[in-house]
Amino acid sequence: MIVRLIYSPKVVEKPILAEVILKTGVPVNILEAKVNAQKGELVVSIPAKGKTLEKILGFFKEAGVTAQKFTKILQIDYDKCTSCGACISPCPTKALRFEPDWTLGFDEEKCVACRTCVTACPVRAITVP
Amino acid sequence: MQREVFGGKYLSKKEKTETIRSIEEINEKIRCGDAVIITAEEMIKLVESSGVEIAAKEVDVVTSGTFGAMCSSGVFLNFGHADPPIKMTHCWLNDVPVYKGVAAVDGYLGATALSETLGFEYGGGHVIEDLVSGKEIELRAESYGTDCYPRRHIETVITIDDLNQAMLLNPRNCYQRYDAATNSTDRVLYTYMGTLLPNYGNITFSGAGQLNPLCKDPNYETLGIGTRIFLGGGIGYIIGEGTQHSPSGGFGTLMVKGDLKQMSNRYLRGSTFYRYGVSLYVGIGIPIPIINQRVASTAAVKDEEIAVSIKDYGVPSRPDLRLVVKEVSYSDLRSGKVEIKGKDVPSSSLSSYKMAVEVSEVLKKWINEGRFFLTSPVELLPRQRVFKPLEIKRKEPRVSDVMRTDVITANPDDDVKEVAKKLVEKGIDHLPVVDEAKKLIGIVTSWDLARALAGDKRRLAEIMTKRVITVLQNESIDVVARRMAKHNISGVPVVDEVNHVIGIVTTDDISKKLVGGRTTI
Repeated sequence: MIVRLIYSPKVVEKPILAEVILKTGVPVNILEAKVNAQKGELVVSIPAKGKTLEKILGFFKEAGVTAQKFTKILQIDYDKCTSCGACISPCPTKALRFEPDWTLGFDEEKCVACRTCVTACPVRAITVP
Repeated sequence: MQREVFGGKYLSKKEKTETIRSIEEINEKIRCGDAVIITAEEMIKLVESSGVEIAAKEVDVVTSGTFGAMCSSGVFLNFGHADPPIKMTHCWLNDVPVYKGVAAVDGYLGATALSETLGFEYGGGHVIEDLVSGKEIELRAESYGTDCYPRRHIETVITIDDLNQAMLLNPRNCYQRYDAATNSTDRVLYTYMGTLLPNYGNITFSGAGQLNPLCKDPNYETLGIGTRIFLGGGIGYIIGEGTQHSPSGGFGTLMVKGDLKQMSNRYLRGSTFYRYGVSLYVGIGIPIPIINQRVASTAAVKDEEIAVSIKDYGVPSRPDLRLVVKEVSYSDLRSGKVEIKGKDVPSSSLSSYKMAVEVSEVLKKWINEGRFFLTSPVELLPRQRVFKPLEIKRKEPRVSDVMRTDVITANPDDDVKEVAKKLVEKGIDHLPVVDEAKKLIGIVTSWDLARALAGDKRRLAEIMTKRVITVLQNESIDVVARRMAKHNISGVPVVDEVNHVIGIVTTDDISKKLVGGRTTI
């Protein structure tokens, strides 16, 4: 599950993410971080499901951090996409692949929103909202 | 590539090249609706199941297709005259410069020309796609004004319908095959072969392989000047060999033209290769008339029979001098992974196989519907051509021309304070650190030392940069200056093949010793 964490100015200096990891033992991975004295915004990958995931999201809520689930990580505009494949081999997590009919396929579970494919796409068919 | 076994028996060259049917006979069958037209994929299956002899007897035409980035593309335009008229000397379409070294209102828009305002995100290829899509394009032009063409400036909007001619004319398209790319260095490379991840992280390749038109007639028995083709969704013609045509090495190319006004934005797509530039994806399909058994056999060539070299794009040298990492086939590359140095490396294409299949199917449909007839070329394409590199005949400054050889080095165990003293005494900023074998293991700058002295670090090994950017003495200064700017550094050690420090070059040396590109020493 990919989640955007928004820290308000009140809590931005607290080590909330580290505490959550220590409490739950789940190795939350930071994909993107924008933090300054006023506010913080992290995009993290939480390798957990069901109750554990809900528990982790609960901890963030308690600590005053807004957690937004990424429902769609990548958007592929299939009107633009030519299924050339330029995004496939650069993808570090193998989330992009060819279907048997050579159409571009995307496996959302594997995607970590690293944006490598966004720049690799020659026709700008891939966007990260 | 040419197979010698025909349906289980050996045939003489005469039998293989004996004419089975002429272009006129094929066209007559198309007119009557009796012609047997199949795609290259279908031909491969037919030859596998029934043998080449039967396939040659049954099939009249095999349709091929390709859809890839073809940088050597562009469009000749005629804008018509305004009143008062202008002899355009400079011209832009959506801020992309148009070549104006031709008559007053003629111009050539190249696919790789970059927008002067949007850079890599928009260029000639995108303007061509927008023209074909019927979009409005901003036209701007300037001139010096003459007695017959007094106007000096023009700014208006045009669409493709306003143009008298819009002629797609591509000097080099449809490469028979293309070297695949990988990257041995430890950083990401952004190339015309796409994003190449470090340490052989991936492989990219281009070309339709078994669908590629030139792979289907590599002996140039049917392709030539005047061959009618599918070009960008419309009708086009082969007008000659393409630039860099190198048929003997299996790297044939085509020069093609066609009326842009009939084409479609499905088969002409502007594209950006990140941090490299812009290009145009072009869809091309060529009918291969099965005039004899040899053509039938080449038209059935498969991906596994087409060889491709994987080259290391980590070495910024001439394409033919790039190191071959591995020899593979299109089938290996299309499988999605290739083993390099004991590791499975992901491979993927830059050209669309799906679209190539579509092009071959559309062309098949056109012929079946009697909308497309074959032509006999007025001259076949050359089978011999030498592709020469560009020789540099003037002296070009190399690292060895500007480097200082009296380089001072230090050892990892040296004391920070002593080293700082040495730098001040000698008035230098960069100090390579070497081991007992005199091999380079790090570098220290005066800035590193200042910071170390402010803190409490004692040994050089604690503060040195271990990942050192280096140069070789025969490298061109131009390349070295770009490398230094890219890594934001002002000095680099010069090393030999075994990483011994033999000199040092700083930005100071380059600016002081080079004037106007020539060494003053």
